[in-house]
Amino acid sequence: MLKSARIGLGIRWYTAKAKRSVLAQDQSKVKEYTPKVTDNHEHRVYVWGFQETGALGLQTSVKKAKERYTEMVHHPTRLQFSNNNEITDVTAGYGFTAYAVQRDDGETLFGSGLNTDSQLGFQVKGNAKDPSNLDVIIYPTAIKLPRRQEETDEDMQVKSMSAGRAHLVVVTKNGTVFTLGNNSYGQCGRSIIEDERYSGSALIHRIPQEDICGKEDEITHVECGQDHTMFLTKNGRIYTCGWGADGQTGQGNYHTAGQITLIGGDIAKEKIVRVTCSSDCVLALNEAGDVFGWGNSEYGQLDDSEHAETQINTPRALKLTKGIGRIKDVAAGGSFCMALTDEGLVYTWGFGILGFGPFVEQTSRPQHLLPPLFGRNDFSNATTVVSIGCGVFHMGAVNSDGDLFMWGKNRFGHLGLGHKKDQFFPFKAAINGKVSKVAFGVDHTIALCKPYF
Amino acid sequence: MEITLALIKPHVLRNTYAMQQIRALIAQNFTVLDQKEVHITKELSAKFYAEHRGKFFYHRLTSFMNSGPCYALILQSEACIKKWRGLLGPTKVFRAVYSDPDCIRALYGLSDTRNACHGSDSEESAMREIGILFPEFKLDAVSREVKKKT
Repeated sequence: MLKSARIGLGIRWYTAKAKRSVLAQDQSKVKEYTPKVTDNHEHRVYVWGFQETGALGLQTSVKKAKERYTEMVHHPTRLQFSNNNEITDVTAGYGFTAYAVQRDDGETLFGSGLNTDSQLGFQVKGNAKDPSNLDVIIYPTAIKLPRRQEETDEDMQVKSMSAGRAHLVVVTKNGTVFTLGNNSYGQCGRSIIEDERYSGSALIHRIPQEDICGKEDEITHVECGQDHTMFLTKNGRIYTCGWGADGQTGQGNYHTAGQITLIGGDIAKEKIVRVTCSSDCVLALNEAGDVFGWGNSEYGQLDDSEHAETQINTPRALKLTKGIGRIKDVAAGGSFCMALTDEGLVYTWGFGILGFGPFVEQTSRPQHLLPPLFGRNDFSNATTVVSIGCGVFHMGAVNSDGDLFMWGKNRFGHLGLGHKKDQFFPFKAAINGKVSKVAFGVDHTIALCKPYF
Repeated sequence: MEITLALIKPHVLRNTYAMQQIRALIAQNFTVLDQKEVHITKELSAKFYAEHRGKFFYHRLTSFMNSGPCYALILQSEACIKKWRGLLGPTKVFRAVYSDPDCIRALYGLSDTRNACHGSDSEESAMREIGILFPEFKLDAVSREVKKKT
C-alpha cells in the first residue's frame, strides 16, 4: 500500500549503498579528454607563400609537383618534414629556406628551394656519380657541413643562422662560421674571385670565430641582408662584410668587402643586443633600448630631415625614434621600419602598407598601431605584442598568446591569409600552434610553432 | 619594325622560375633576333650607363650588374620599346608593387636596384645599347630587311 503510493508519486527509493555504486559507475563512464598527439616534437613548422622555387619544402615528388594547380600556398600549411624531425630554427632567403635540426644521425642543417648559387650546398641528383646537380630542391635535404675529426654532433648544432638573396651563413655551437653560396660582393666573408662559378659549387667556407672577433668574444647572432652579412657578438660588437653600395655594411664607405670588419660610428661604444635587416636598410638596438641605423634610406626610414642622405655608410643614432619610449625589438624591411616598445606598442614608418588603413603611405614619423589589432580585448586585456619582424615587402607581429598577425604587400600569398589581396591592417594568420619564431622571406614565410598541448 | 634591347639582370637569372616566366612572356610578345649571356663588367657598364654617371646610384648599379652574368636579348615587334617597358613597369620596385602589381618588376624585382630587367628608353638608346652588347649584330641588315618587306 505504502510502496505503491510512492511509485505513484514518481519517487524512486534507493538504499545508501546502491546510490554509491551508481555514482561510481558514472565516474568510470566520464571520458577523460586526452588530445591526440601525432608527434611529440617540441616544434612544428608552418609554411606558406610562393612554392614554385621549392622553398616551402612541401612537395615530395617532381611528378606530383607538376600536377598541382597553383603556384602559391595561401594558407599556413604544416611542413611534413617537421613531423619527423625536431626543428630548432628556420631562416628564409630569396626562394630558399634552411632548417636547423636535431637528429640522431648527426645532420644538423637542412635546406630546400633554389640552389642555383649552391646556397644549400652541393646537391646531386640521384647518386653521387651522376654529374648533374640540382638547381631546385623541392624537399628538405641535408646540407653537409665540413667537419673536423674532433668535432662532435653537439658541436655542429646550429647556434644562429641567416639567409640572404643567394647566400647562407651558419654559426655552430662551437663557434665556427660556415658560409655558402654567392660571394660576388664578398658576402660569404672571403675574397671575391672574378668569374667564380657558384652553380654546382661544393665550396663551403669555414671561419673560426676567433678570426672574426678574437678569443675573448663570441658570436651570438648572424643577420644577412640581401647581399651582405652582419655578425653580432656577446660584447655587443658588430662585424660586417658584403655589398656596401648603399652603406649597408656600415664600414664608412660604399665598397664591397670580402674581409669581415668591426664597424664603429655611433655604435662604437654601445653594447648592441640586436641587429636586423631584410634588404639594404639596417636597424640595431642597444641595451638601453636606443635605435641605431645605417644603409639605404631612400624612403626616409633613417632620417627625415630636409637634406637627408639617402645612403648612410656609418652607424648613426636615430632621431626618429627618440621620445617613443624604450624599445625592445626592431625590424627593417625594404622601404619601411618597425619598432616595438617596452609597453608592447608596435610603431611603423617609411613607405608601403604601414598598417593604418586602406592606403599605401609614406611617413617618416613613427606611429603606433592600436593594441586591439593584435588580439587585446576585454576578455584578454593583458595580451600584448612580444616580437615583431618583417620581410622586404611585408610585416608581422607575434602576441603573448602566440598568435601571428600579418600585413603589407601580399606577394605570391606570403601573408598566409587565404587570399591574394594586399592586407592594409594587421590580421591574424590561422596557424595551429603557438608561434615562437617567424622567418620572413621575399616571397614566402615560415613559422616555427609550439603545439598547444 | 622597331627593335629594342632587353637585359635580364643577375638576380633573376638565378631564379629558374622567374626566367621561365619572363622567357614565355617575351616569346608571346616579340620576335627574338639575337640573345646571349653577357657579363656586364665595370668597363662595359661605364659605356652602357654613361648617362647615369655622377648620380648617387651609379656605383650601386654598376657593382650590381657586375655581380653575375646577365642575359641580353634583341626584341622586335611593333612599337616594341614602349611595349617592353610597359611589361617591365616602373623602375622603382617598391612603388611598382603597389602601382602595377602584375608587371615584371613587381613580381621579380627585389629592390629599386635589383629591379629584374632593363629596357631601352628610346630608339637611339636602343641602337646604342645593342651596339655595346652585340657589336657583331648588323643593325643595317635588319633595317634593310624591314624596308624590303614593306
